[in-house]
Amino acid sequence: MTTSDSPKITRRATRTGIPPLGQYLAEAWRYRTFALYWSRADIKARNFETALGRLWHFINPLLFGIIYFIFIGIISGGGLNNTTRLAFIVGNLYVWTYFSTIITTGMGSVQSGGGGVAAQSAIPRVVLPLASTLTAANLFLKSLIAYVPIHILANRGLHWEMLFLPVLVLVTGIFGLGLALLLAVLNVYLRDISRLVPHFLRLWLYLSPAIWAYTRLIGEGAIETLAQLNPMYWGMVSWTIMFGGSLSPDGPNMLQSLLVFSAWAVAGLLIGFFTFVSREDEFAIRT
Amino acid sequence: MPSAPDVIRVEDLSVSYSAVVEEPRDPKHRFSRRTRKREIRALEHVTFNVTKGEALGLIGGNGAGKSTLLKTIAGVLKPSDGQVDLWGRPHLLAPGMGFNKKLSGRENVILGGLAAGMSIDEVREKQDAIIEFADIGGFVDLPTNTYSSGMFGRLAFAVATHVNPEILLIDEALSAGDSGFRGKAVAKVKEMCQEAQTIVVVSHSSSMVSEMATRALWLHQGGVRDVGEVTKVTGAYEAFQASQRETAQHDRSIADRK
Repeated sequence: MTTSDSPKITRRATRTGIPPLGQYLAEAWRYRTFALYWSRADIKARNFETALGRLWHFINPLLFGIIYFIFIGIISGGGLNNTTRLAFIVGNLYVWTYFSTIITTGMGSVQSGGGGVAAQSAIPRVVLPLASTLTAANLFLKSLIAYVPIHILANRGLHWEMLFLPVLVLVTGIFGLGLALLLAVLNVYLRDISRLVPHFLRLWLYLSPAIWAYTRLIGEGAIETLAQLNPMYWGMVSWTIMFGGSLSPDGPNMLQSLLVFSAWAVAGLLIGFFTFVSREDEFAIRT
Repeated sequence: MPSAPDVIRVEDLSVSYSAVVEEPRDPKHRFSRRTRKREIRALEHVTFNVTKGEALGLIGGNGAGKSTLLKTIAGVLKPSDGQVDLWGRPHLLAPGMGFNKKLSGRENVILGGLAAGMSIDEVREKQDAIIEFADIGGFVDLPTNTYSSGMFGRLAFAVATHVNPEILLIDEALSAGDSGFRGKAVAKVKEMCQEAQTIVVVSHSSSMVSEMATRALWLHQGGVRDVGEVTKVTGAYEAFQASQRETAQHDRSIADRK
């Protein structure tokens, strides 16, 4: 054998199962255009053959918000003429839909997404949940356009905290992606996970200040402390303040809540990413 | 004269994975489902090299580990032990990879090309040639789920074969559309083989390997049984297959007499 140059690619077993990170990330970066095009294709394919086509990206979240508003207005006895409440619920529910869509679609993307690339190519599989995150972010930004008239109707005004919108989209995306990566691995070993996740997400929604205001727990001692152990408590507080400004001077402020949420997001991404890459070839065998 | 440099070097490669096996149901416990993990050793201590300009044919029976070896070189599977060194980027010919059936043929050319590792500029540059090769006429702008299986196969094949890889990996389970297209498809694969620096082709059929390869590697139950000049190895493999058939026939006749 006569080869003096060092090889371009080396594949070997590693003790932890984690591939050389530099090589892995460079490969993932190489497929960034595929992730972007796959995400666009996915969005286009969603409303394929419907009469209203792309308009569904706006109609869907609007109908979703109105139904929730009516339902909660009747159940809680708060009435249906409170537009501030409508804007609060609709805005936060769009955020929750964004977050939960990343988890559910990202988790399943390795098995179903990318047109079978997981089983047939060396594309770093992380590209697939990443493409799902891009899709969810794209749809979320479209739903925000549907939110604007409701915001104006509710007279929620403009706030300096709105400048944090891009940061919040990013941090929520990072946290959702981390969880999607972790759950994608668990789902390979135990397929029941994908059945449980939607129920768990619904429960998580009710436990987070999304359809109830975080101000309800201010000064509640142990309950407030317990609620603050939930990463999405900080996420939803940040989003609530971003949409409508601070609800109470006694509660957490934007920077505080965003900082705690970002710490959770980074931790979630690191745990999810390393678990995912260490078990990545399982996707080729078991999908 | 110095020998050609290695492009693929496989050293002491082993690949194993675990599969979940469902155990027979106990009629007394109708709702219980018992499963157990079973380790499958697909490849064990495989060592060989492929030099620049060579076409290596992988032969062997079912479960010999041919596709596992090809997928490990491609990077789809990871080694459990040993290593694979590559002096070039491999491309596993996988028609239809990256396709979204709800989108048009034209859009799928882009998706499939990107999934195959082409840059967006490269895909755009080759888009017309791919569509022309697929020969699907006006269907190119219709969703691919309206295509016949032959048309879909032609488009998928056209995308997969318009990549210029340094190392070309071909599995025999290559779908090449309808029978009219098959001749064109075989010619295209031969053209790719001429352009690629190195080729590894997997087949059950020793005649296909003899046609495409210069050297052959015979895998048997996850290990290397023989490697060398193509006619010598395929000859040995054919003789082995014939003896296996004879033994099976002999066993059957004994069983019939009983």
